[in-house]
Amino acid sequence: MRVKHRHLLDLRNWSREDIESVLHLAKEFEKKLNHEREKASCLRKAIIVNLFLEPSTRTRVSFELAGKMMGATVINWSNSSSSMVKGESLKDTVWTLEAMGVDAIVIRSRTIGTAAYLAKKLKRASVINAGDGAHAHPTQTLLDIYTLWKRLGSLAGKKVLILGDILHSRVARSNIIGFKKMGAKIIVSAPKTLLPLDLSPLGVQYEPDPLKAVKSADIIYVLRIQRERIKSSLIPSLREYNLRFGCARELLTEASSKTVVMHPGPINRGVEIDSEVSDSSRSIILEQVKSGISIRMAILYLLLKAREG
Amino acid sequence: MLILKSVSLFDGDQLLEGTFDILIEKSKIKAIVPEGNKIDIKGARSIELKGTLACPGFIDIHAHLREPGEEWREDIESGSLAGARGGFTTIVAMPNTSPPLDRPELIRHIARKGREVRGAKVLPSGAISKNREGKELAELFGMAKEGAVLFTEDGSPTSNTELLRNALLYTKDLNLKIMEHPEDPYLSNGGQINEGKISALSGLKGIPRSSELIGVERCIALAEELRSPIHITHVSTKESISAIRSAKERGIPITCDTTPHHLSLEESEIIKSDFNPVYKVKPPLRTLEDIEALWEAISDGIIDAIATDHAPYHPDEKDLPFEEAPFGIASLECAVAVVLNEWHNRKQKISIERILRLFTSGPSRILPERYRELGKLKEGGIANITVLDLEKIKKVNASSWVSKCRLTPWDGITLKGWPILTIVEGEVFQIDI
Repeated sequence: MRVKHRHLLDLRNWSREDIESVLHLAKEFEKKLNHEREKASCLRKAIIVNLFLEPSTRTRVSFELAGKMMGATVINWSNSSSSMVKGESLKDTVWTLEAMGVDAIVIRSRTIGTAAYLAKKLKRASVINAGDGAHAHPTQTLLDIYTLWKRLGSLAGKKVLILGDILHSRVARSNIIGFKKMGAKIIVSAPKTLLPLDLSPLGVQYEPDPLKAVKSADIIYVLRIQRERIKSSLIPSLREYNLRFGCARELLTEASSKTVVMHPGPINRGVEIDSEVSDSSRSIILEQVKSGISIRMAILYLLLKAREG
Repeated sequence: MLILKSVSLFDGDQLLEGTFDILIEKSKIKAIVPEGNKIDIKGARSIELKGTLACPGFIDIHAHLREPGEEWREDIESGSLAGARGGFTTIVAMPNTSPPLDRPELIRHIARKGREVRGAKVLPSGAISKNREGKELAELFGMAKEGAVLFTEDGSPTSNTELLRNALLYTKDLNLKIMEHPEDPYLSNGGQINEGKISALSGLKGIPRSSELIGVERCIALAEELRSPIHITHVSTKESISAIRSAKERGIPITCDTTPHHLSLEESEIIKSDFNPVYKVKPPLRTLEDIEALWEAISDGIIDAIATDHAPYHPDEKDLPFEEAPFGIASLECAVAVVLNEWHNRKQKISIERILRLFTSGPSRILPERYRELGKLKEGGIANITVLDLEKIKKVNASSWVSKCRLTPWDGITLKGWPILTIVEGEVFQIDI
C-alpha cells in the first residue's frame, strides 16, 4: 500500500484510492493493537514531533500513541514550553527541528494555513495537519470514515447529517470533502449564523429543521458549540441552541433505529448533545476515539514510507 | 537636449494620428513635431522609439512608501525609483506611516524629499485626524499649505462619520479631495478574504461584501448632502460599482479608483496557492463577476483612475501563515504591465485610450488644480513622459526590483505590454528597449 503524498495538509488532493489505502492499513494496525498490544518497530528510526500550538488532548495523545506504537521517537512540543514564547518565529522553530533530523511534524494551530506554510518551508520532513483553524482536520475525517467503514462497510449512498457550527468547524470542512469522496450525501442543519453565507461551494444540502433532516439520515454528526459564539452574538443562548439544534432523544425518535451518532469531541453535554444520546448505544463517539490511533499509525507509516520511495 | 524619435502619441485624452518626434530641453517639452519635420540639433541625444507610444507620465495616487518610521519596508527613495521603473513619474504617498503624516512639518519633510528624489516625484497626502485616531481633525489647512495633495485615513476607513463630514466641509474651500477607504470595520473585523466560495471552502473568516458597500454608500450620502467632492479608493465589488454608477448619474461629486490586482486576480488564487499570503490584500480579492464589473466600469468611464495600493512589507513580516500575515501586495514595478496585459485580453471591448486616461488625465483630476497639467503631454509642458511598448512580452522578475519589497503575486508571470522608458522632468530614468 502506497500513497504518492509527502504531506497530509487536507484531503482535497487525496483520491478515494488514497483514502482506501489508509483504511486498509489502519485495519492491519488495529488487528495488531487488539491482539498483541505490542509495539511494532517499523518506524523505529523515525523522529516525529507533535507541534501543538493550540490546546488539544485527544488528537495529541492519539498521535503520540500512534508514533510510539510503531517504535518512533516522539517529541511533544507545545507553545507554552518552547522558545516561541520568547518570540521565536514558527519558521525558525521548524528549521531548528529539521536541523535536528526530524522526519515528520504533526502540527496543530489556530491559524489557517500553518500546515501548508510549514510544508513549503521544510525540505525533507513530512507535515501532518492536526487541525488548522477552521480550515481542515484531515486525520479526524479519516478516522471518522474508518469508523463508519468498519460499521457500515461502505459510505456510498449513505446520508450524513452534520449538525451544528459548520462555519467555524475544520472537522465539518474536512468531513464534507472526505465523506463525499467516499460516496456519501451531506445534509447540514444549523442556525444561519453558523453557516457560510453561500453553501453551494461545499456541495451540501441545507435543511433548517433538524427534525426533518434527521429522517433520512444514516449518520448524525454533531459538532461542538463554543461559548464564545454567544459573546459574538451568533446565538442568543446555549439553552436556546440546545432546544433547537441539540441532539436529544426527541431528535433520535425521528430517525431510523439504525442511525448512528458521532461527535469529534470534546462534547458539551446538554448543549449540542444530551448525555442520554452521547452515552447511548446509538453513539459511536468512543469508537471514533479508538479508530484515531490506528488511522494515525497508518498515516505516519504511509507518509514516511512514501518518502523513502 | 533629448529627442524621442518616431513615437506614437497619447496626449492624455486621445491617441493622435501619425508618429512624432519630441524635443525635450531641460525639464520641459520644447517641441512635438510630426515625424519627417526634422528636428536636428547638434549634440542632442536621440532615442529611436518606432512602434512605441509616448504618454503623459503615469500618476499613482495611492502607494504606501512607509516613510517615516518603517523604512525597512520601503522609503521615499526606493519607492520613487521603483515607481519610475514601473512607468510612473508621480506617486502620492499614503499617510498611514509611523508616526502618521498628520502635521504640517511632516508633510513639508515628505514634500521636500519627494521633489528631490531621482525617480518618480513623490507627493504627500495627509491624515484626516490627529494620529489617525478618528477623534480630532488634523491640521488640514497647514498640511495643504505644505504640499499635501489629498487627505485620507487610508489603511482603514475614517472611523467617525461626523469627523469625515467635518473634514469634507473643512476642505471644501481648500480645493483638496478627501480620499476614503470604504469599509465597515465592524463587519470586516477579523475577516481575511472575500466572504463567499473560498471562505466557505477554507474556513477563513469572510469579509462581507456589504462592508465595502456601506463605506461607499456613506461617501455618497455625505458628498450628496454637502456637495463636497470625495474620492473612493480601491473599489472592488460589483455592488460598489453599481452604487457609484447611480450616484454619478445623479450628479453627486464622487470619483473612484480600482487597483491592478482587483482587475486581474480572482479569490480562488488563495486556495490554489495553498494560502500564499501574497494574495492577502484589503479589500480582498473578489470573484470573476466582480472583475468583469470593474472592467465594464472602466469601459463606460465610471472608474476615474487605476491606483496601485502598493503596500510593501519586509519578507519576514509577510512570511507567515495566511491568517497571521498582514494585508498588502507590492506592485509598483509591474502594475502598469498587469493592467496592459489584462487589457490585451479585453481589447475588443475597451480602447487603449480608456486605459491610458486612468493612469494620466484621470488621476491628475483627482489631485489639486495645479497638478492638472501632469495629465497632459504637450509642448511647453513638463517633460514627464511614459513610453509604452504594448507588444512587449516579458516575465516579472521580482528579484531584480529596486523596491525593497518583492512580495508580489506576479513574480514569474509573463505579461504583455510594458513601460519601456520613463522620463521624469526631462531626465531619462529607465530604458528597456
